[in-house]
Amino acid sequence: MDIVYVFVNVAVFLLFAPLFQGVTRKITAKIQSRQGPPLLQPYFDLIKLLGKERMNSARNWAFSLAPLGAFAAVLTVAAMIPLGGKANFLTQRTDIISLIYMLVLGGVCVLLGALASRNTFALIGASREMATMIMIEPVLAMTLILGAVKSGGLKLSAAMAPLGSAGYGISAVLMLSVYLLALQAFVGRQPFDIAEAEVEILEGPFIEYSGAFYGLFKYAMMMKQMFYAFLFVSVFVPLPATGFGPADILIQLLGILVVFVLIAIIGATNPRFRIDQAVKFYAGLIAVALVAAGLAVKGF
Amino acid sequence: MLTPDTLKKTLETEFGTSGLTVDIPLPHRVYLDIPREHLRAAAARLIGLGARYMVGFGADSIERDGTLPLIHTFAFDRDGILAALRTSAPANDPVFDSITPDIPNAGWTERECADLLGMTFKGHPKPKRLILADDWPEGIYPLRKDVPHNLVPPAAEDVAYQLDEAPPGTTVVPVGPFHASLHEPAHFAVYVDGETIKGCDYRGFMTHRGIEKLCQTQVSYNEIPFVAERICGICGSVHAAAYAQAVEEAAGLKISRRAEFIRTILLEIERLHSHLLWLGVAGHLIGFDTLFMQAWRIRERIMWLSERITGNRKTYGMIVIGGVRRDITPEIGRELRETLETVEKEVLEVKAAVLKDTSIHKRTKGVGFLTEEQTRRWSLIGPVARARGVDIDARRDHPYAAYDAVEFAVPVMDSGDVWGTVVVRILEVFESVKIIRQALDTMPNDGPLLTEFSEILPPLRHGMSTVEAPRGESVHYVITGEENRPERWKVRAPTYANLQGVPDMLLNNQFADFPIILGSIDPCFSCTDRVVVIDMKKKSRTILDPSGLEKLARRPRSRRR
Repeated sequence: MDIVYVFVNVAVFLLFAPLFQGVTRKITAKIQSRQGPPLLQPYFDLIKLLGKERMNSARNWAFSLAPLGAFAAVLTVAAMIPLGGKANFLTQRTDIISLIYMLVLGGVCVLLGALASRNTFALIGASREMATMIMIEPVLAMTLILGAVKSGGLKLSAAMAPLGSAGYGISAVLMLSVYLLALQAFVGRQPFDIAEAEVEILEGPFIEYSGAFYGLFKYAMMMKQMFYAFLFVSVFVPLPATGFGPADILIQLLGILVVFVLIAIIGATNPRFRIDQAVKFYAGLIAVALVAAGLAVKGF
Repeated sequence: MLTPDTLKKTLETEFGTSGLTVDIPLPHRVYLDIPREHLRAAAARLIGLGARYMVGFGADSIERDGTLPLIHTFAFDRDGILAALRTSAPANDPVFDSITPDIPNAGWTERECADLLGMTFKGHPKPKRLILADDWPEGIYPLRKDVPHNLVPPAAEDVAYQLDEAPPGTTVVPVGPFHASLHEPAHFAVYVDGETIKGCDYRGFMTHRGIEKLCQTQVSYNEIPFVAERICGICGSVHAAAYAQAVEEAAGLKISRRAEFIRTILLEIERLHSHLLWLGVAGHLIGFDTLFMQAWRIRERIMWLSERITGNRKTYGMIVIGGVRRDITPEIGRELRETLETVEKEVLEVKAAVLKDTSIHKRTKGVGFLTEEQTRRWSLIGPVARARGVDIDARRDHPYAAYDAVEFAVPVMDSGDVWGTVVVRILEVFESVKIIRQALDTMPNDGPLLTEFSEILPPLRHGMSTVEAPRGESVHYVITGEENRPERWKVRAPTYANLQGVPDMLLNNQFADFPIILGSIDPCFSCTDRVVVIDMKKKSRTILDPSGLEKLARRPRSRRR
């Protein structure tokens, strides 16, 4: 029965990720006094892109492997997590280390594709993506480690359980604020959409991509954003558990929706940072995240 | 205080023996003629006396006297004088001393003369092609009279512009010819070390349209304003007004006061919408699309108003030699005031939001920095100069139209960076509103809109004028010709002067700042707002007016056909 939930996870992510994207686009449009695209536009975009020709402009295998890798990595992440508070077959057999590895793998695939395309703008984008990854992954790791410390084990099911039950404490409050500050960077939106920076480097790592390959990257990005919103809801927000699977999932999705509203508002009201400014900002976050993890170890 | 007479005396004592002659046809115009051997010294002396270099250009006088004239123009901003330094060289030996080492902004002028007229400049630091395409054959100089305006030489293969050598340890990032932060084709080779810009080379003039040549050979004096308006998608009236003023000056024509006020109002409307457009673009360039959308929403009212006044959102066709073509009636005046009221209120909100936004500070303060001294050395103009402590404004310094009758402040900042240009432009919006209100209040009700003009002007009269466009001053210089059209019409759009300073602004900034630094001098594009709906099934054809189009835009998608 647990194994069925693996597929439920994957299905929920595949189905809902574009919807949340649509919500952010709609809210952004409202803030900008625009009408905005229909809520379902991201689905239409994906369907159109996936149906298009697969062009390998770089003429090497790494170029076509990268989007597949990124997509697979994020699907794996979706499969592993305890969606709706329910530890599925995979959740019980993985730990936070493999989750972090999978997330990094997704990022590495973006770099791989960018480097394989050999485009100048992609290379700049790749170097910015790399800097962002190096600076932002520790914050993610600390969040999960905090959960692990609180629950007393590296097991994913325990580490990603709501903190509410284990007691909030100073460390959790600190980490919550760090996570909120890092959220835009996790999801790659303004002010931290630096690696793609449309007007400077024209979508950076993805500049050479089109059609189905680009569609896969886009899809993977949407699911990644949904994961980070999920992680926030799952770790920091003690949601009521009904014990009835679909209801729990629905409650969590509503939580994710709220996070996406927040993401859209912050994104629409901030200009993009430069990478040097962002790195300074991340450095501060890492320091605070370390302190929070340290405090958790000490039992605060 | 320098007056044309003291200027004349000073220069005559210094250059009298070198053959300098001075002519003062009008109270604020000085024409200096000097043999070419002393050109560089005289130009440097003018700068020393406090002049700012505007532009230079060459002409073809081979049929008349076998020479190629070269004219450099200067502005004494504090003293309200425009000066032209004229010289010439025989066509079989068109060699001049380059003045670029003293005046960097003359660099493009001289390269342009070399391209178009075959002049050569001794000591020019970068004697490369500027205007002509790389496959244009050597030895054909398109601005010479013996070259027809529609000459299309066959394309050559395997020729390319040779970019400047990149500094050691840098890589080249090609920006353009088509790039999201450039709205028109132009190529920047940006040399970066990591993400730090260490230099750049520019290759532009890819949309060189040959307007000057066209107007010197094909159309008549009073058709040119409509061509002039099409030089720029944003400052149409500016170019038409500058051209008309130059011809009026050469012809000694005085237009009615009412026409001057209407011109003033048009020019300020243009500044309003241009600054709001720029503010939006600036927001977009630093990844702040909300600012972009809001600024353009406010701008839209001004576009509707423009259409109400002139029949067009842009390219108004209002200004001709001798005056204007349409009146501003009391009714339109009322609408104008109402629109200004709303726009002013909305811009105040945007101003408060932008000036307090620390994220915008982060992206603009200290970015694209130039000192005041560098700015003067490069002869930069407009908001770019005013953001760097150089207090110049052609409207105040060289009054034209009705600017002598209105009170306004010229905002100047000393931050020397992109932030300064943002603040200057926002503040100027309020000054424009003020100017339009005053103009409406004090406009005389009599006087013809259009003063008749015989169109037969004596040849070889010179006229120059400068008009403060939203992005700096536009300089027009007209030499009257014989066949009812100019012998030579020189246009210098503001970007021509400011773009030359961009490499210095870019130096040692981050590559991520490239769009906003380039954007801070203000790029251009135009738009139109008319749609014809053709229904194939019903075989009907409806033209949507602005309200129909707006309704269409506001209708939910599901109900749109």
